[in-house]
Amino acid sequence: MSLDAIVIGAGHNGLVAAARLGQAGRRVLVLEAEAAPGGLLGEAGGMRIAAMPTGLHPEVARGLALHRHGLRPGRPMATLALGGDAPLRIEGAAVTGVDAATAAAFADLHRRLARQASALAPMMLKVPPRLRDGGWGELMTLARLGLGVRMLGRAEMRELLRILLSNVWDLLNDEIGDGALAGALAMEATLGGAMGPRSPGTVLPLLYRLAGQPRVMPEGGAGAIVAALVRAVEAAGGQVRTGARVEALLAGDDRVEGVRLAGGEEIRAPLVFSNAHPKATLLDLLGVRHLDAEDVRRARRMATEGMVARLDLALAAPPRLPGGTLPGPGDRIIVAPAMGTLEAAFNAAKYKENPDRPALECHWDAGASRLAVSAQFVPCTLKGGWTAEARDRLVANVLSVLDAAMPGLAAEVGDVTLATPADIEARFGLPGGHWHHGEFRVDQMLMLRPFAGAAQYRMPVAGLYLCGAGAHPGGDVTGLPGWNAAGVALKDGRGR
Amino acid sequence: MNAVTEPREAVPMGLVPGPFHDRLEALNHQRAWMNWMGVASPAVLDTVEFEYFAIRNQATLFDVSPMMKYRIAGPDAEAVANRLVTRDVTKLRPGRVAYAIWCDEAGNVVDDGTLFRLSATEFRLCCQEPQLAWLDDVAWGFDVTVEDVSRDIAGLALQGPTSCAVLRDAGLAGIEAMKPFDLREFRVDTHAVTVSRTGFTGDLGYELWMAPEDALAVWDRLMEAGRLRGIRVIGYQALDMARIEAGFLLPRVDFVSSETHLRPGRARNPYELGLDWLVALDKPQFNGRRALVRLAKGKPRRRLVAIEIDRDKPAHHALVYHAKRREVGFVTSALWSPTLKRNIAHAWVEAPYDEAGDLWVEIYRQRELVWQRRMARARIVERAFFRHPRRTATPPADW
Repeated sequence: MSLDAIVIGAGHNGLVAAARLGQAGRRVLVLEAEAAPGGLLGEAGGMRIAAMPTGLHPEVARGLALHRHGLRPGRPMATLALGGDAPLRIEGAAVTGVDAATAAAFADLHRRLARQASALAPMMLKVPPRLRDGGWGELMTLARLGLGVRMLGRAEMRELLRILLSNVWDLLNDEIGDGALAGALAMEATLGGAMGPRSPGTVLPLLYRLAGQPRVMPEGGAGAIVAALVRAVEAAGGQVRTGARVEALLAGDDRVEGVRLAGGEEIRAPLVFSNAHPKATLLDLLGVRHLDAEDVRRARRMATEGMVARLDLALAAPPRLPGGTLPGPGDRIIVAPAMGTLEAAFNAAKYKENPDRPALECHWDAGASRLAVSAQFVPCTLKGGWTAEARDRLVANVLSVLDAAMPGLAAEVGDVTLATPADIEARFGLPGGHWHHGEFRVDQMLMLRPFAGAAQYRMPVAGLYLCGAGAHPGGDVTGLPGWNAAGVALKDGRGR
Repeated sequence: MNAVTEPREAVPMGLVPGPFHDRLEALNHQRAWMNWMGVASPAVLDTVEFEYFAIRNQATLFDVSPMMKYRIAGPDAEAVANRLVTRDVTKLRPGRVAYAIWCDEAGNVVDDGTLFRLSATEFRLCCQEPQLAWLDDVAWGFDVTVEDVSRDIAGLALQGPTSCAVLRDAGLAGIEAMKPFDLREFRVDTHAVTVSRTGFTGDLGYELWMAPEDALAVWDRLMEAGRLRGIRVIGYQALDMARIEAGFLLPRVDFVSSETHLRPGRARNPYELGLDWLVALDKPQFNGRRALVRLAKGKPRRRLVAIEIDRDKPAHHALVYHAKRREVGFVTSALWSPTLKRNIAHAWVEAPYDEAGDLWVEIYRQRELVWQRRMARARIVERAFFRHPRRTATPPADW
């Protein structure tokens, strides 16, 4: 069978790209190194890294007709913020468990941020304009984005520009005051990355999250997304091959020609989409010989340090929230009693140490009697290395924070599975173990993602496209990078 | 953070002496020192006229030690050199030297220099501007080491019609067999000297490379051997005259390196500089290739051209006009050539006026605080104004 395209990596973005290409009549083969598809969404090593995914972008779900492949869109998850006397419950702009003034201030802030985020939202589905020479092209790009911002009106625009590059610490202290509510929002702004609440530029990721998709827990859990995407690929005539680790890209005469697998098998195709990390794609799979020194430098210097560890705790009894209630399947629990907790944890990780009191995001899977925990901030390269003692210490710190928030929980814990950022890095070939393949920083967003000059999914070698979270609009489980990458390649094909 | 308590070697203030400084200082009657990469380098020692005519008629010594020199060595040295420069390095044999340029990703020139192939796995790059950071980036991911050896190697340019005879008399047996751009090892008395038949004058000439501790002994031997051949020590000003006559370009003067320019659009590509002949688009990926392939298909928006100007007043920094009215460029290097008896210059000219004719330069002259303005006709000519058959004749004639 002669192929039109190969997709490296059966993470959700790779599957989305493959399904879109298949729908357009292209013969596609998806190559996955692990034994099962899904990437961070899949069950690899007995653990699903992305246990609390955001929903796929509606355009992607609709475009691939995922409802016909068994995906029931779930309801947005509610957030329970622990740390105060009673848990706070956050659903959209509504919060309960705080005083009326704080609730009103939060509703006001949420409404404002959501409106400002909507000025950014149209950029998500678009291919970011090209940066050329740092000249007029860049200015035009900014102008186009600026127009959307200007449409907010003068006062709102001023406000957005005031807070855009500032930090959530200042913003939330100004607007709602510190506490469990601010902690939960600061967690939202910093989760997955290597910036603390006081780091400049943390308001932008918060807006980005608000402009993006809410977290949903689909029927059948996070794995249902992967299953539906695989069915969509296969229904479009594509094929997913697992246990096939791509070792190198084949390229000649400035054009990609296919891939070589770890066993030495060579598979040819005129188009290759890489859902692997941009660094790994360019520096390891393609090789620096095919690249200009500037691209090598930018790829090397991508900020890719991730600071989230994942733990799965088998519990003998369901966790009980303060007050005695049980968390529901649509509830996400955040333990970040104040922004200072996050900042202290970040300070430890910044200096490559285990935080004493990590901030936690948890989900209770009643069917599996399992509490999925994301702990931040945990460094990828730990001082002294990730020894057995260091791992035990991290687990003990997480359990102690959990037990303080939900008394009695530690006593119920059975088996613990831990994936440090270093484990995530090794298992998924993600340099730095970053969830989103690259920090959500103002210099790594939009036309600067993954780095300047590489923002349109096309790589310097013709026929090679990036389709993973390293590309615009980036991480979380929207499927947009894969969707946009396939769209760009199809457009390129028509032009030829 | 711990405080640094260990004593550090003091960094010298001002310019430092180069390996030939003791001899240069004795001869530098003008006391005219220039700053060349932090080293005291003579602008002129006696009179620029004597020094210039010595280049064209005798033999001259010029200290090129301050030039930046990099050693690129290792199993991947050829791959790195070939990735760096736009020429095809696989065709450069050990024992040969190539003039080369290197470009950034946009196809703009970073710098030019000479690439010495010392062996299958070792190169030396000589150039004007510091390049270590650039070389480190180009070499990343390759099995190669890049070292700055600028201060580990002393260099002397021996240029002029009698230069071959001087070297032969200094005991460099077989020097006359060297072809242009050849590179060979010799001994001057007991001192190892690497000689390349290269230079910046468009005439017969050699460059000698040695350990700094051997520098003065080699100098003395050459001065002694050259006594009856009219050997003369020169400064930068005389060399710059010969450089313009030979049609060689100077970064910062004739073009701005893409690594140092600040304003957008000020960097220049090889097609604009008239250096197409240095770009081997038929070799696989090298830095800037994709951009150069695109640029090669179009016409340059401006070109650095050689012009010859009517009348005898040099056109320093003059503006270039089309039909005396429309400003279309400017002069970067200018000279009344004493040897050619022609008024010559390098100038940037915007397209399409680089092909139009009817070009004029506006020359300003001041005589006793009174300014005069003259429009002089200019014609675009071959870049190498002066290229003597002596430059390539092998063996060179005995002068």
